[in-house]
Amino acid sequence: MVHLEHVNCILGGAQALKDVTLHVERGEFVFLTGPSGAGKTTLLRVLYGDLKPKTGAADVAGVDLMRLRGVQLPELRRKVAVVFQDFKVLPERSVFENIAIALEVRGVSSVSIDKRVRAVIRALDLEERSYARCSELSGGEQQRVAIARSMVVNPELILADEPTGNLDSDLSRHLIDLFKQFNTYGTTIIMATHNREVLSWAPEARQVHLVRGEIVPVPPGAPGWVLDTKPIIGGRA
Amino acid sequence: MSTTKLFLRGVADMRRFPLPQLCTLLTVCMVALLAGTGLLILHNVQTEVLRTQAQARFQIYWKVGADVGAVESQWADLKHAPGIAEVSTFTPRAALSELMRGLAPKTSGGGLTGGNASSGANSGANSGEDFAWLEGENPLPATALVSFNIPPGEQPEPWMGRMYARLKGLEGVEQVTYNPTQLTLATGWIALIQKAAWPALGFFALVVGLVVGNTLKLMMLARKDEVEILSLVGARPWFIRAPLFANGVVQGLTGSVLSLFCLKFLQAWLRSVLDVPPLFLKVEFLPLWQSVALVLATTCVAGLASLIAARK
Repeated sequence: MVHLEHVNCILGGAQALKDVTLHVERGEFVFLTGPSGAGKTTLLRVLYGDLKPKTGAADVAGVDLMRLRGVQLPELRRKVAVVFQDFKVLPERSVFENIAIALEVRGVSSVSIDKRVRAVIRALDLEERSYARCSELSGGEQQRVAIARSMVVNPELILADEPTGNLDSDLSRHLIDLFKQFNTYGTTIIMATHNREVLSWAPEARQVHLVRGEIVPVPPGAPGWVLDTKPIIGGRA
Repeated sequence: MSTTKLFLRGVADMRRFPLPQLCTLLTVCMVALLAGTGLLILHNVQTEVLRTQAQARFQIYWKVGADVGAVESQWADLKHAPGIAEVSTFTPRAALSELMRGLAPKTSGGGLTGGNASSGANSGANSGEDFAWLEGENPLPATALVSFNIPPGEQPEPWMGRMYARLKGLEGVEQVTYNPTQLTLATGWIALIQKAAWPALGFFALVVGLVVGNTLKLMMLARKDEVEILSLVGARPWFIRAPLFANGVVQGLTGSVLSLFCLKFLQAWLRSVLDVPPLFLKVEFLPLWQSVALVLATTCVAGLASLIAARK
């Protein structure tokens, strides 16, 4: 699903990703961990085509990112759904409209849109708020709308950038359960987080630890963030 | 989703951002009004200059002995011809009187005596030289001195060529002459106006383009998140741009039509102020084609600016 080989990426004059090699198979659940500024978001941006690597080889869902042109971007984005910490929902539109938009851009018929959106709304327990404007929702509800929007299109890969960052523990747990549920249906999930509690809720997930743009191994028995404040130590991936 | 539906969605979405939309509409309207005012001034200056300066004058000679009744009928038609500024006519008898008056010694200034100048073209019975013996066999033809305003937008030389041919083709006409100096003067005025008009039109188009374009780009900031989200969920460029394009077109169209209403009020007010003694300046409204051009240009610029803003 994701194949990165020796990927280097420059951002604002600094090297944001250094020689990153990462392979994620279809149906895997992967946590990207590491401190702030480690390159987690940069790596996700590369994966959804928002940032082009400087060197290396990158393939996501069969799309060669090194040769990706602007007109091909929608093709990649239709295979890869993204969930952000700040939700990125349209506050003036209703829950239904926010979810339906992902299907409308794909040219799905209105009958089918109605059916699929209602199913996802029901699955995410948003039925009572279907026609409420997103600006009237709580943070947890808005995040569920964002997740519903990404799930309604049955993507091959879901990228989530700190999706629980603005939520309390209970809601975070609920969202991780949702991601796990979709993962069991075969959707590949790559989630960036620095929350150790979140990691403990999905112990079966693989962890990929980033420090200063490099993938480093997580020492056995130690949470990845012990490396946060020190220069890179231990062996490299 | 079809393009029509996308356009309709763009128009429907306008209500989601009422304040930015209203501010943009006002800006578009005011800039179009500014451009329209410039056009209005230019149009009225051109009309006035052409009315007073760009005239073509023809001297028409009928055949000697042509039927005076038929000639006078042609004169009556000429007086109602389009663009006519002035018609002076001379029957053979009047021309003879004029000749006698012209040949008469001046009674003032020169100190000559022996004749009385006639007071009008049809007088002359008491002229200085007595050509009364010619009354029965007047060798002079009926003539007319006709002045036309060269229509705006017409090239003087081809226009005068066509008018010359038309006058020459009148029944009984022997000869038609015109003054090349008059033609040169008319050509000069028209060239001057055209030279001034194009830079002015270019300037107005640039102002409309820059202001409307930048205003629409600023308005798009209000929809930045929407564009970003649409892009994230895999929308193709046209899916994103079509509603924004429709939004820009509607803004341009509405703003420019509103500006025309404002311009009409302005013109009516200027007319009431300027068309009074001693000015008597008649301020006319823009011709239809210029009004349509103003609306189309503003609408196109607004649509184009929206597309560019959405692209960025």
